[in-house]
Amino acid sequence: MTLHLEIGGRTCRVEIDPADTPGQWRIRVDGQPVAADAHLVRPGILSLLIAGQSYRVVLDPDNADPALHIGPQRIPYRLDDPRSLRSRRRQASAEGPATLKASMPGRVVRVLVEKGDAVAAHQGVLVLEAMKMQNEVKSPKDGRVREIRVSPGDAVSAGDILAIID
Amino acid sequence: MFRKVLIANRGEIALRILRACRELGLSTVAVYSDADRAAPHVLEADEAWRLGPAPAPESYLRGDLILDIARQTSAGAIHPGYGFLSENADFAQACEQAGIRFIGPPSSAMRILGSKTNARQAADEAGMPRTPGCVHALASPEEAADVAAGIGYPVMLKAAAGGGGKGMRAVFSPNDLPSAFASASSEAERAFGSGEVYLEKLIERPRHIEIQVLADEHGHCVSLGERECSVQRRHQKVIEEAPSPVVDPDLRRRMGDAAVRLALSAGYTNAGTIEFLVDDNRNFYFLEMNTRLQVEHPVTELVTGYDLVHLQIRVAQGEPLPFAQTDVQIRGHAIECRVYAEDPSNGFMPSPGRITRLLQPGGPGIREDCGVYEGWTVPVDYDPMLSKLIAYAQTRDLAIARLLRALDEYVIGGIRTNLDLFRRILNDADFRAARIDTGYLDRLLAATPPPAAENGHGAIPAVAAALFEATRPSANGSASNGHGPASAWKTAARRDAVGLGD
Repeated sequence: MTLHLEIGGRTCRVEIDPADTPGQWRIRVDGQPVAADAHLVRPGILSLLIAGQSYRVVLDPDNADPALHIGPQRIPYRLDDPRSLRSRRRQASAEGPATLKASMPGRVVRVLVEKGDAVAAHQGVLVLEAMKMQNEVKSPKDGRVREIRVSPGDAVSAGDILAIID
Repeated sequence: MFRKVLIANRGEIALRILRACRELGLSTVAVYSDADRAAPHVLEADEAWRLGPAPAPESYLRGDLILDIARQTSAGAIHPGYGFLSENADFAQACEQAGIRFIGPPSSAMRILGSKTNARQAADEAGMPRTPGCVHALASPEEAADVAAGIGYPVMLKAAAGGGGKGMRAVFSPNDLPSAFASASSEAERAFGSGEVYLEKLIERPRHIEIQVLADEHGHCVSLGERECSVQRRHQKVIEEAPSPVVDPDLRRRMGDAAVRLALSAGYTNAGTIEFLVDDNRNFYFLEMNTRLQVEHPVTELVTGYDLVHLQIRVAQGEPLPFAQTDVQIRGHAIECRVYAEDPSNGFMPSPGRITRLLQPGGPGIREDCGVYEGWTVPVDYDPMLSKLIAYAQTRDLAIARLLRALDEYVIGGIRTNLDLFRRILNDADFRAARIDTGYLDRLLAATPPPAAENGHGAIPAVAAALFEATRPSANGSASNGHGPASAWKTAARRDAVGLGD
């Protein structure tokens, strides 16, 4: 399979296929073959031996942005699926409705706009409190408030939809 | 003699106390809120009883319910840990009246030392140096102005009932005093239910150094050396160490003697901590007394070899202290990091949520007092401390090296933590040279962070990411349930890929 990755501030193309020996893979990064001995220690923890160098790589399967831990470094990555080009373009053009979701569990302290209000990009839409800290949730784009799904005092979970901006 | 201890706390400190009880052959009763049904302290205790809903005022602060549970389970003693009810003299008194041992000082000593103004009076009586200023609550802004004029600016306004930086205001000129008085007083009223404030001389660039004391009920009190707690953010300690790099045996003895005098004068028993500010000339000034076990007690345990929780329990059983002051020796160096679920790269925003991965460090000289496990969801309702990582070695330099080594072994996935902040501090030249005061960390954070290290791993991250993606049980599914704008396109991409569309 071929994967397009955005990792460590650059994009690259990785071709990866199982070799004949279990645990061995044929890997090319941007066309260059890489001889890697990979051993999945347990789900999410990988031992990599490359040219005698040993790496413990731990997957942080954060839903929002997965990352790798290699030694002290946390390296976020994105999987860039070529089939998604259509949806990427749509998202990038800031057209269509934007859904505001809670990035962490918390409680709604204030709602700063009303249904039907015009909002500007980066304008505060509501205030969430988590662990005794208040944080403003901002509109990602210029638009109009189509819907507000929460009220002050509501408890929300990560991923809950708070509002929709047209 | 009690055989069963109720632990009125949660998180790492509940586990810490539970372990000590086990080691002493005592059985344990945990209490929990609805958010903590599956918390580690519930899993490890012999018994566990529900208190109520998640918010602390409806659960861990419900002294009445906790006493009921102690009675029903025939627990002979209650250990309050730190925070919650640990410095609540009314609760300690209610325990005394119910015939249940409160593992801590008597309520009478808590009342003297728990109020900062009362404690300053006690310090005067014990002949302990304190910052210039008043020993009574101020009646008005005018009285505050008189006191400030007498001692000279800058001054610090503080809540009499205070702690944790609440109700505190530094004032640099007379013009600013009235508004600072009003805001400190109202903040104190909201935080502690008492708007009383007092005023003292502001010590510039002080170190925060505290002395651990331990007193039995037979009139013996010892000091167990100092802890250096100057690395703070917004008056909250971040790194603590023992011994302090600036305290020599003579200063240690003088501070220890003063601390012991204060404890004895107040009729104090059990473990307590006297906090001091220390200026550039190594003059020390009494700040306040914490009438409980401290978060950072492990560094004292490592350099003295004593188990403070064991000793707390034995003292509460009525035993005399099993050693004398002359037996106390400080050996080696210990440093503690408070590991929090917060994101230093994003304004220290709390980061509650599910811990999807937990790889803990180990090996020589490493102690981790941890209150979470892989799969545990850090609740939003309490302090976001996850664990305390402590390194012990012969010297300060070796302890720093050991801590850095342990931090590299430590992986916490699924939530953000402040592990990187510790790497930055421990590698900082000023910290390594022990040029620290209570403003040190704020200055470090205001400075430009060192450039993010290039990930010097070449193609390794790409290879690893590809391997994880290629070995994923299914190339779609739950792992792509994106939240937040960063991955919105990815979520959409995955939905398209599996044919769900929008």
